[in-house]
Amino acid sequence: MRLILLALLVFNFPVMAQEELSAKAWLENMSQALREQEFKMSLIQLQADHIRPLVYIHGKIEDQEVAFLEHLNGPPKNAVRLGNTVTFIEHDQPAYSVRANRIQGILPPAFAADISKLESGYQFVLGGRSRLAGRPSQLVRIIPNDDFRYGYQVWLDMESYLPLRYDMLTQDKQLLEQILVVELLVLDAPPAILSEAYKQEWPAVASQSKRDAGDNWTFNWLPEGFEILVKDSHRLMGSHEAVEYIALSDGMANISVYVARVGDTKMPEELVTRNGLSLATEVVGNFEVVAVGKVPTETLTRVAKSISIR
Amino acid sequence: MDKLGQEWVSAAVDGETDEHALAELAADEGSHQQWRDYHMIGDAIRGELPKSINLDLSASIADAIDKEPTIMAPVRRVDSKKPADAIGGSANVIPMFKQFGQYAIAASVALFAVIGVQNYSQQSAIDASPLPVLNTRPLVGSVTPVSLQTGPIQASQSFTNVQVMEQRQRINAYIQDHMLQQRLNNGTEIDDNNKLDSSSADQ
Repeated sequence: MRLILLALLVFNFPVMAQEELSAKAWLENMSQALREQEFKMSLIQLQADHIRPLVYIHGKIEDQEVAFLEHLNGPPKNAVRLGNTVTFIEHDQPAYSVRANRIQGILPPAFAADISKLESGYQFVLGGRSRLAGRPSQLVRIIPNDDFRYGYQVWLDMESYLPLRYDMLTQDKQLLEQILVVELLVLDAPPAILSEAYKQEWPAVASQSKRDAGDNWTFNWLPEGFEILVKDSHRLMGSHEAVEYIALSDGMANISVYVARVGDTKMPEELVTRNGLSLATEVVGNFEVVAVGKVPTETLTRVAKSISIR
Repeated sequence: MDKLGQEWVSAAVDGETDEHALAELAADEGSHQQWRDYHMIGDAIRGELPKSINLDLSASIADAIDKEPTIMAPVRRVDSKKPADAIGGSANVIPMFKQFGQYAIAASVALFAVIGVQNYSQQSAIDASPLPVLNTRPLVGSVTPVSLQTGPIQASQSFTNVQVMEQRQRINAYIQDHMLQQRLNNGTEIDDNNKLDSSSADQ
C-alpha cells in the first residue's frame, strides 16, 4: 500500500510542477524545446483554401541547430537550416541561402525566440487541456492588448513542450490560419537526414549589401510594441516599381510599408485576403503609401496615415 | 573458374542453390559472364530469346543503379546542380543572385500570393462556409456589384478589364514583395536574438 502511495506521489510530482507553470513559462519552455530538442513533426497547414502537408525535422549537430522542412504535396519544395543560414531548395530555381534563424513559413519565428519580447503587445493566458496528435497538451492563448493585431493560440505537448497546434484568429475569433501536428516523434539523436544536410555544402548566403539606405521615414503613431526593423529602397520584383520600404514588427505580426509614386492604376484602399494578409493604401499628394501585413486593415490604414519624413 | 564453380553457376541459373551460394556467386565477378551464358542457353532452349539481345544486361543494370537517387533526394538534387554552378566557381552564384535573385525568389513566394481577393465587408459571409473553393472574383467592377472601395463606386464601375488586371498585378507585386521581405528580414531579427541567446548562455 505504501509503495503504491509512493508511486502515486512520484508520478504526480511532475504534473504538479507543471500545474504551477505560468503561461509565459510554458511559452518559454516551448521556445527552448524548439531550439534544443530533436524531433520530427508531421503537420498540416490550413490557410483558407490551401491545405499543405509538411514534415519538419529538427536536431542539433555539433552544437549547431539543423532543421529540414519538406512540402509533401506538389512540386518539391524544401528548406534546410544550418545555424543561421536557411537554404531554400525549390524546383523552379537554383537553391539560394538567406540569413535567418528559423525557417520561414510554418510556426512564427518568435516562438523560438525570446518570449518576453512579445509582452509589449500581448498577454499570455493559460487555457484548458486537450488531446492532440495522441498526446495530452496545454493551451496557451496569446491575446493582443489592443484591436490593432490578431490573436494566437498554441497547444503545447505536456511532455516535450513542443507545439502541437497553432491558430491565428481575428478579433471575432475567426480562424485565419492553423497548423496542426498529426505526428510528433521526439528523438534521442539527430536523424540521418540532418547529418547528411550538415555535411552538405550549401550555396553561400546571398549578400544584401546592395540595399540602398532609404529616406528617414518615421511614424507619428504605431501600435504599442511595433518597431522599425529595416528601412531601404528597392524595386518590387515583378513590377519593378521603385519603392521606399520600411519593415515593422511586434514580434508576431510583420507589417511592410511602401512609399511609391502614384501608379497609373489605383490601388484599393483596403483589402483582406482570406489567410489574414491585408493591404491598405493611403494617397498623399503624388505619393502612395501601401501597408501590407497580417493585421486588421484598420491598423494598416492608421499606420499608412501616420508616416512622415523627418 | 573451376569445374565445381561452373556447376554452381549452372545450379544457380536453374534455381537449385541456396542463398549463401548465391551470395558467393554474386561476389565472384568471373562467373557473371557464365551466368549470362547459361541463362542465354536456357532461354534459347526454351525458345524465349527476344528479337534483339542486349548482351551486357548486368552491366547496364549496375549502371542504372548507380544513377538511382539516394534516399537523401532533396539534398542530392542540390549536389547534382553543383557541377553546373561550379564551372565558374561558387562566386558565380552570388552575382547571379544579385541580378535575378529577387525575381527568382518571387517565383517561389508567388505560390503564397493571393489569386483572388475579396471585399472586406463580404468577409463574414465567406468565412461562414468552411474552406471555400478558390475565389477568383475580379477585384473591381464586373460581376460583383459591391467591390473594393477603389474610390467612389461610380469610378469603380467604369474600370475596364485591363485596369482590373493591372490593379491585380500591382496588388500581387506588393504582396509578393512583403512575403519575400519576410524571408530576407528574418536575418535582421536574428542578430538581436543571437545576442540574447549568447548573453543568456554566458550567464
